[in-house]
Amino acid sequence: MISVRDLHKSFGVSTAVAGISFEVARGEVVGFLGPNGAGKTTTIRVLTCFHPASAGTATVAGFDVTRQSLQVRQQLGYLPENVPIYPDLRVCEYLRYRAALKGVPWRQRKVAVERAMAKAGVVEVQRKLCGHVSRGYRQRVGLADALVANPPILILDEPTSGLDPNQRRKIKALVRELAQEHTILFSSHILGEVQDVSSRVIVIHRGTIRADGPPAELVAKNTGRVLHVAVAGTPLQLQQALAEVPWCAGIPATDAGGGAVAMQVVLPAGSDPTAMVGERLLAAGLPVRELRLQMASLEEYFHQITEGRDREAAAPAAEDAA
Amino acid sequence: MTGAWVTFQKELFSYCISPASWLIAVLFYFFRGFELMSKSVEFAAYQLDQDLYPTSTYGFTTTYLIVVLVPGILTMRAFAEERRTGSLETLVTAPVSDAAIVFGKWAAAVAFYLLLWLPTALLLLVLQADVFLGAGLAFGPVFAAYLGLCLWAAMLLAFGCFASSLTDNLLLAAILSMLFSAALLIGPFLLNLWLGAAAENYYVAELIRKLDVMANFRDWFSRGLIDTSQIAFYVGGTLFFLFLTTVSLQARRVA
Repeated sequence: MISVRDLHKSFGVSTAVAGISFEVARGEVVGFLGPNGAGKTTTIRVLTCFHPASAGTATVAGFDVTRQSLQVRQQLGYLPENVPIYPDLRVCEYLRYRAALKGVPWRQRKVAVERAMAKAGVVEVQRKLCGHVSRGYRQRVGLADALVANPPILILDEPTSGLDPNQRRKIKALVRELAQEHTILFSSHILGEVQDVSSRVIVIHRGTIRADGPPAELVAKNTGRVLHVAVAGTPLQLQQALAEVPWCAGIPATDAGGGAVAMQVVLPAGSDPTAMVGERLLAAGLPVRELRLQMASLEEYFHQITEGRDREAAAPAAEDAA
Repeated sequence: MTGAWVTFQKELFSYCISPASWLIAVLFYFFRGFELMSKSVEFAAYQLDQDLYPTSTYGFTTTYLIVVLVPGILTMRAFAEERRTGSLETLVTAPVSDAAIVFGKWAAAVAFYLLLWLPTALLLLVLQADVFLGAGLAFGPVFAAYLGLCLWAAMLLAFGCFASSLTDNLLLAAILSMLFSAALLIGPFLLNLWLGAAAENYYVAELIRKLDVMANFRDWFSRGLIDTSQIAFYVGGTLFFLFLTTVSLQARRVA
């Protein structure tokens, strides 16, 4: 549904997006993740035809964003980051206006607005002025606007930005619900919600894509993990039982109290000796108290591929300069 | 055209519920009414010489005031406010062309401006009363004067939209628009002064005369004369500024 090829966007001498490529298939919910200033909003604005790309191509539902801008916009429901809505209109008036502007036929407009209000949960504030609704409702009004013409694709730019935890939870639930009927690309710098809602994550940093894949897979493939082992016995018994298991040899065991000993094994990315450890412990006749593989969180992964790599890249440069 | 019509309806609705619009209307009717009263007194004093007293002498000062000030105030929000609040992003990412947005906003400004003028037609009834003229008005000059006003307003409001599309500062947009309106009124006079003897050249004098909006009204519209070249001037100017506004709005789409 969305295809981006070698997209560049510069503003004067500053480059916001430096040659990114990705695809979003029909029915996917893709989280567009990155720190502030990473290039998320710029990319989204190219996809929504707000401004053009400096180079590269992007298509939405098969239409080119530069040459077939009007057709692209007919396929999209867009929620901008700051949800700019007219404060002097009532919520229902605003949505009726937006439905008309998006070409919803007059006879279907009332139903379309009511359906969008029900989906976004703004029925109770429909008579309020847009300028008088809370931040959470404002976000929901923006979502209702994105939904009002029932487009196949939704692009949501930081839909939970500035909301309290309860409001965030509600918006996440709503996005999950919408995922059943729409292809969704949503940006965020809050990792938890991306992990909760999306089936795939694209991590962008300094205008380039740093990672692309399902959140759990990315974490599993790319970050280290820790194996926690605890058995009833002595430290020597545990060390001997695991002496031939890769990464476990030579790891000291410590007294965990209550007649148990424990060992924490730091493993490289992609490795998982849990089954082998279990077999050895059974063979050694040691009663297992704990055998747990602790995965790194998406947050740690995100930090590693953004700040961590930047620091690594900066270190040799600093040494060279010295 | 649907996009333009929807934009027109929304903008006209916004004008009608805006307190600023009502304030403009109240001030306009107050000064207009006050001026009509003083004109009545003046007319009574010159009644005996009314054949020698040309119609244009009764031109209202508030007309010039409303022509210079109001278009800028009405159109300053058109795009500058959208840009300032960020709602321009939702507007231009909707499936509607930039030209339709510009046309809808301009048409709404023109419609509201004409709505402001509509009650002044009641003054015509007052003028026909026994205590004033005591006779029917010549409908031709009245119609021509209102037509001239519409054309003039259309061009000034088109420029106002253009000024508003250039900035996100409402005050700057309004000032630009007012300066343009004032320049149209006093520009030819200043040009004559600046050019001196050169202004006596036939072609230069003719050009300045064509650009002289005040003279157009005094010599043509207020006497019931409609010249197609003047209509072309105002319509052409309107289309030119609407085109510039559309280009200005589309500039963000240029890579």
